[in-house]
Amino acid sequence: MSRFRRFRKNRQLVAGSIIGLVIVLLGVFGPMLFGDYADQDLLLGHKPIGTEGAFFGTDALGRDLAARATFGIRISLMVAISVTAMAVVLGTLIGLIAGYVKGPVDSVISLIVDFVWGFPLILVAVLMAASIGSGLVPVILAVALVNTVAIARVVRGEVLGISEREFVAASKAGGYSTFRILTRHIAPNVIPIALVLSSYYIAVAIIAEAALSFVGMGAQPPLPSLGQMVSEGRNYMRLNHWESTIPGVIIFFMVLSVSLVGDGLRDLLDPRLRTALDRTS
Amino acid sequence: MKAVLKTTVLTLLLLLASSFAVFAAIRLSGGDVTAARLPASATTEDRDLFRHQLGLDRPIIEQYFTYLGNLFTGDLGNSLTNNASIGDLAVEKIRNSAILGGVSLLLVFGIGIPLGMVASLRRNSWLDTGITSFSVGGMAVPNFWLALILIHIFATSLGWLPSAGQGGFKYLILPAVVLAAEGIALTVRMTRSSMIENLNQDFVRTLRAAGLSERRIYFKHVLRNSLLPIISLAGLRIGQIVGYALVVETIFGWPGVGQVLVNGVLRRDYPVVQFFSLLLVFVVTMGNLAASVGYTLANPRLRK
Repeated sequence: MSRFRRFRKNRQLVAGSIIGLVIVLLGVFGPMLFGDYADQDLLLGHKPIGTEGAFFGTDALGRDLAARATFGIRISLMVAISVTAMAVVLGTLIGLIAGYVKGPVDSVISLIVDFVWGFPLILVAVLMAASIGSGLVPVILAVALVNTVAIARVVRGEVLGISEREFVAASKAGGYSTFRILTRHIAPNVIPIALVLSSYYIAVAIIAEAALSFVGMGAQPPLPSLGQMVSEGRNYMRLNHWESTIPGVIIFFMVLSVSLVGDGLRDLLDPRLRTALDRTS
Repeated sequence: MKAVLKTTVLTLLLLLASSFAVFAAIRLSGGDVTAARLPASATTEDRDLFRHQLGLDRPIIEQYFTYLGNLFTGDLGNSLTNNASIGDLAVEKIRNSAILGGVSLLLVFGIGIPLGMVASLRRNSWLDTGITSFSVGGMAVPNFWLALILIHIFATSLGWLPSAGQGGFKYLILPAVVLAAEGIALTVRMTRSSMIENLNQDFVRTLRAAGLSERRIYFKHVLRNSLLPIISLAGLRIGQIVGYALVVETIFGWPGVGQVLVNGVLRRDYPVVQFFSLLLVFVVTMGNLAASVGYTLANPRLRK
């Protein structure tokens, strides 16, 4: 079967990609279409969904919810994608080195990994917020740190197993350099795993950013983070629940989209990965 | 057993390192400690005196050892905002959080494992599709938003359950369900894939050939093998539950460790943040340790 047909037959991947595409388009073009997210009009407070001139209605300060939600998508995507890209690259590198070189290098790396592993992500972010002040920066640092370590852990474990296999012994006997063995023989076997993990960690990043902004430690006003919008709307649930429903639904579909893509990718790249990855996530 | 001992010693060292990291992160912060306690009109001398009383003018290493020493003698210090003793605060908050976390963990496995088993037995049926979709959806719902929806439905609209606070069993239902939701979804998925993997193993065919009943094969042999990864997940779940308890407790006004910690950060109440962060790290590290020891003990192949 051709790659494209395999892609088309993979329903999770197709559904996830379509949802993801819609969200990315909303994030890219929404802010241009719906105007300034910080524009206030106190007389316009709390217009319901479908109001003329405000597609999704307005919040208590009369700010356009469509403009805010789509800008929120931008923030969420930028944080999640940049952080995950960094975590995947760094985590894979660290895991490759620790798993293959072994010895004291591995011991030191594993010790640091275990150390960070003792801190729940949300707690790391809270501590960072306590030490450098609330905002997106502590959120980004915390998610990057914890996810890098999480990926390094899995990759290291995989590399430990792979480096015992015959083809690695054969390359060593063939006199290839460590660098060549790592890049040509071991890395291709762990990169699919890192890719599938990355979709899972994008989801983690999206939820963490939203949750921290929800409790007031993430994006600071007037920047419209989705989590913060849910939080602002909670006081008006009876009056106009759309203010928190809209950002909530968007977060749900963002996370759903990356999870579906992750599951689909896993099946597409290597069906055998299914259980191994379920255990790690 | 040697491996278990080594892990335990290593864990103790990690805890010590963690305590220093938490300490340093908070002491090196740019925030002004005096702002939490003294009025805005306080003079520079007043502020210096206050810092001196707290020992904040001494080198950080010295402060750290003083703090550690106090910890071991049971002196946890006082809150900066209301001068309450952290020791007294801790007893009450830990109890509340343990109740919430324990009930959530029970829900996670009590609901997650049976649902996953049903899905694996009726593979590819409408029931399986339903349970699997529920679990994929459950992992995507942000828990703070789920909390708001449930409060809106069960507290505001129907009036069946209280929306926040602490009292009898009724107050526990919503926060525990919200805290458990993602874990239930994940456990369903894990149990299902683990069971299916084991059902396809050769030993199942052998047992069938030996004439054992399907029920016996399923509950005694397959389930036992499948529970292993789920056991190790139990320890690791504690980290997740602890993390999200911060958010869930804040939403539901559940007077636990998470709520105290979040308020401490927002009010810059450093002694409180320091102690309760350390406490959470301790719980999670212990959870990880229990997971790895439990995994070794439950799997004879790993014992040496």
